[in-house]
Amino acid sequence: MTITAPPAPPTPRPLPPPESPLARIRRRLIPQVLLVGAAMLVVGYLAIVPLGYLVHDTFTGSSGISFSAFARAYGGDSQSGRMLLNSMGFALGSALLALSTGTVLAYVQVRTDVGFKGLLFAASMVPLIVPGILYAAAWIFLGDPSIGLINTLLLKPLTGASPVNVFSVWGMIWVQGLHLAPVAFLLMVAAFRMMDPSLEESAAMSGASRPTVLRRITLPLMRPALISAALLMFVQSLESFEVPGLLGLQNGIYVFTSRIYFVLRAYPIDYGAAGAYAIGLLAIAAAGVLMAGWLQRNARGFQTVTGKAFRPQLIQLGRARRWVGAGVIGYFVFTVVLPVGVLVYASLLKFYAAPSMAALRTMTLDNYAAVLHMPLAWTALRNSLYLGVGAATVVMLLAAVVSWVVVRTDLPGRRLLDLLAFTPIVIPGLVLGLALAFVYLRVPLPIYGTLAILLISYCTRYLPYGMRYASSAMTQMSRELEESATVCGASWPQTFRRVLVPLASSGILAGWVYILVVSFRELSSTILLYSPGNEVLSVLIWEQFENGQFTTLAAIGVCMVAILVGLVFLAYRLGARVGLLSNTAG
Amino acid sequence: MRTRSFGAFAATSALVVLTTACGGGAADGQLGGSAGGAAAGQGQVYAQIAALPADQQRARAAQLAKQEGELSLYTSMTQDVADAVTKKFTDQFGIKISVFRGNSETVLQRVVQEGQARRLGADAVETNFREMVIMDQTWQLTGYTGAALARVKNTGKFAHWTATRFNLFLPAWNTDLIKPGQEPHSWEDLADPRYRGKITLEVSDSDWYENVTKWWLDHGKTQAQVDQLWAAIVANSKAAKGHTTMMELLGAGQTPIDAMNYSYITERAKNNGAPVSYRLIDGTNPTPAFARPNGVGMLSGARHPAAAWLFYDWMLTEGQQVLADLHLTPSTDVPGDTSLKGLTLAPFDVQSLTADTSTWDARYDAQLRGVAAVTR
Repeated sequence: MTITAPPAPPTPRPLPPPESPLARIRRRLIPQVLLVGAAMLVVGYLAIVPLGYLVHDTFTGSSGISFSAFARAYGGDSQSGRMLLNSMGFALGSALLALSTGTVLAYVQVRTDVGFKGLLFAASMVPLIVPGILYAAAWIFLGDPSIGLINTLLLKPLTGASPVNVFSVWGMIWVQGLHLAPVAFLLMVAAFRMMDPSLEESAAMSGASRPTVLRRITLPLMRPALISAALLMFVQSLESFEVPGLLGLQNGIYVFTSRIYFVLRAYPIDYGAAGAYAIGLLAIAAAGVLMAGWLQRNARGFQTVTGKAFRPQLIQLGRARRWVGAGVIGYFVFTVVLPVGVLVYASLLKFYAAPSMAALRTMTLDNYAAVLHMPLAWTALRNSLYLGVGAATVVMLLAAVVSWVVVRTDLPGRRLLDLLAFTPIVIPGLVLGLALAFVYLRVPLPIYGTLAILLISYCTRYLPYGMRYASSAMTQMSRELEESATVCGASWPQTFRRVLVPLASSGILAGWVYILVVSFRELSSTILLYSPGNEVLSVLIWEQFENGQFTTLAAIGVCMVAILVGLVFLAYRLGARVGLLSNTAG
Repeated sequence: MRTRSFGAFAATSALVVLTTACGGGAADGQLGGSAGGAAAGQGQVYAQIAALPADQQRARAAQLAKQEGELSLYTSMTQDVADAVTKKFTDQFGIKISVFRGNSETVLQRVVQEGQARRLGADAVETNFREMVIMDQTWQLTGYTGAALARVKNTGKFAHWTATRFNLFLPAWNTDLIKPGQEPHSWEDLADPRYRGKITLEVSDSDWYENVTKWWLDHGKTQAQVDQLWAAIVANSKAAKGHTTMMELLGAGQTPIDAMNYSYITERAKNNGAPVSYRLIDGTNPTPAFARPNGVGMLSGARHPAAAWLFYDWMLTEGQQVLADLHLTPSTDVPGDTSLKGLTLAPFDVQSLTADTSTWDARYDAQLRGVAAVTR
C-alpha cells in the first residue's frame, strides 16, 4: 500500500506514512480494548454468577416460567409491604445520618485547620472495624431503658427519667448511621481533596459569605460523591440485618430482611422467594443507580480536577477553631469513646454486668490472654490480611477501568454494566456463598476449599463499593487531562496509569482502605466457603460469639480497634505521602 | 517502580480473567466420575467392619483408620467442645481431625452441595436434629451397627444416625430480677400477666413451639386454649435473635426471663458467674424439659470411612465423658453426669418434626408477628 502512495507534496512537517485503517485501529485500540474488555468481562462475570443462580430459581417453576415465587414472597400474611416501609424509613434515616456526619467530618478533616487530624482520621474509621454485632451490643449496654449506662449513670440521676431507648426506630437509625458514617467519610475525604478551591475563592471574592459558598459551590460540586455515598449506605441499610435483628425485634419492628432471614433458614431453601425479595431490593437499587447517573448527566459541571494546578487551601477557622474542635471531640465521645469504652469495660469481665464495686473486683485480663492464646489467631490474621489486600487491590483495579468506561465513554451498554456491578450489594451473603460453591465445586481448578474462593467471594461482595468510590473520583476529573496526554503521544494504557490512576488515587485509595477493613469482618459467605486450615479472623470472631464468650469477643474488638488506630496514627507520624493522607497531616 | 507495579496489577487482572473464564464454562461436574467410583470402596470398608463380630469391629476400624491417616469432620459443636473432642480423639488414636465448624444450617448446606457435586469434603458429621434428619432423608448417611449402639437411650436412635447429646429446652431467668418463688414452674406460667414485658423469645425456636404445642394438646388442652396461651405468652414477650445473645442480655439484666434457652448455654453462663439459672433454688425444675437429640453420622461417600466409623463409635463411648465434662447432656449413661438431675424430661416430638419443619417455622413466625390465628 505504501509503495503505491503518491509522493507527498512538500509540507513544513512531513506526514507519517499512511497505514491501513485496520492497522490503525489495531495499533490504537488493541491494548485499550484488551484491558477494558477484560475488566468488563470479569466484572460482568463476578456479578452474574450469584445473580444468575438466584434469578434462575426465581422465575422458573416446575413448568417453565413462573411468577409464583413472588406470590409466596410478598403475598399471604407476610406483611412484606409494611416491612419494606419500615426498612425504607430505617435505611433512609441511617443513610442521611451517616451522610451528614461523614461529610461534615471529612470537610473538617480536609478543608479546615482544626487540630489533632491524625486522631480525627483514626477515630472516624473506628466504627468501620468494629463488627456490627459488637457495635450494636455496645449500644444496648449504653442505651437500654433499664440497664443502659447513659440512662442509669447520667440521665436518671439528673432528670429522674430514662428517656434513651435504643430499641426504637430512632435507636436503630442512630446505631446504623454511626456504623456506616466511615463509608461516607472516606468517600468525601477523597472528593474534598480533589476539589479545586479556586471556585470557592472566586465566590468569596464576589462577596459570598462562607455558608453561601458551602451551599452554592462546595456541596453542589460534591454531588457525585454525595450521591454515591447515599446510594451505598441506603442499599446497605436495606439489606442489613444485624442492627434490626438486635434492636428492632425487641419492639416488634420487623424489617424486610427478616423475611429473607426467614426464607434462608428453611431447608430446602426457597430460592424462589429469596430471589423475589432480592429482586425487590434490586429494583430499588436500580432506580438509585439510574437516578445517580441522571443527576450526574451534566458531567462537565463536576470536573474539579482540570489542567490547572491547584493546591487545596486550608480554611482558617480562626476563633471558630476552638468550637469546631469541641464539636468534633463531642461527636467522638458519643460515637467512639462511649461504645469502645463499653467494650473495654466488658473485655475485662467474665460476663457483662453493670458497673459496681462487685463487678470491678472481678476485673481481669484473662480475655486478652485468651485472645493471644487462640491457636488459630495468627493464621487467621495472616489469611484475613492476604484476602483483604487481595480483594481491595483486585476490586479497585477493576473498578478504576470499568468506571472509566461508564463515566467517560459512550459505549453502548455501559449503564447496564454499571447496574450489573452494583447488583452484588443486594445478594444475601449466604446466597453468594452457595452460588460460588455451586460453580467452583464443578470446576477442576484448585479454587473450592482454598483461599481463592474467599477472594472471589470478597471481590464480588465489595465490587459495588469499589465501583462507587472509583466512579465518583472519575467524574471529578476533566477530560482535557486525557486529551493532553493523548496529544503528547501517550497511548491509552500510558494515559490510564500515568494520568488517570494517579489523579484518581484519592478515590481509589479510599475505596481500597474501605474494602481492606470491611473484608476483615465479612462472615455471611465466609462461613460457608472457608475450609479447615484456611480460617480467617471473622470465623474466629463468630466462634467466640457462638460460644457465648461475649467478653472475649469484646477483647478481640478492642484489639482490632487498637491495631487500626495504631496503623493510621503511624501513617501520620511517618508522614505517608499517599493520596488520602498527604496535605492533611496537621 | 510505578510501571512495574502497574504491570503486576495488569497481570493479576489477566489471571483473574483467565481463571474466571474457565470457571464459567466448566460447570459440568467432571469430578463426579472419580468420586462415584470411590463410593463403592467406602461401602466395602463399612461392610467389612460391620461383618465382623461386634467385639472386633473397633480394633479393625482403628487399624484401617490409621492407614487412612486423617478424618474430616463437619460439625456445629461450639469451638470449646470441638477442641476438646478432637484433642481427646487424636490423643487416643493418633489420627488428625480437620474440623469445619459452622452453624447447623451451614453444615447441612455444605454437605448437600458437596454431595450434589460428588465432591465430598466430610467423612463424618455431628450436628442438630433437624439437619441430621434431612441428611438422612437425602441418603447422605450410612448406618452404624456397632456395639456402642446398645448404650444409647432409645430416644437417641435413628435410621442412619445416632444421638451423641441432648439439648434441653427450658426457661432461663436472671436470679437478681426473678426472686426465688417467682420463677416459672411450667410452660403455662409464661402466659401469666405478672411476666408482662419480662420475657424474651427467640425468632427461630419453631421446634420448641411445636413441642410445647403438642405437649399441651396431648395433656388435655383444646386448640382454643393452646391458642390463647400462646397469644398471652407473645403478649408478655419481646423477640430476639440468637440464643447466645439472649443469654448475654439475660445475664446483664436487660431481660428477666428467656422463654426458652438451651440449658447448656445457661449452665455455661452460670459457671462464668452470671446471675442466671434454669433450676429452682432446690435444684429441680418441674417444667417439662424437651430433649432435642444432636447426633453423629457417617457419610456414605466418605474418603476416610474407617476413621468415620471409629469417630462415630468413639463419640458414643469415650466421647460421651468429654461431653459430660463440658456440662452437656450425653446420650448414654455417663458416671458423674448430673445434667438431668432434678429435671422433668419430656419426649421430643421426633415424628412431627421429621415429617415437616417448614410449616412450624411459618406458624411460629406468624405467631410472633401476630398476623394469623394459628390453627392446627
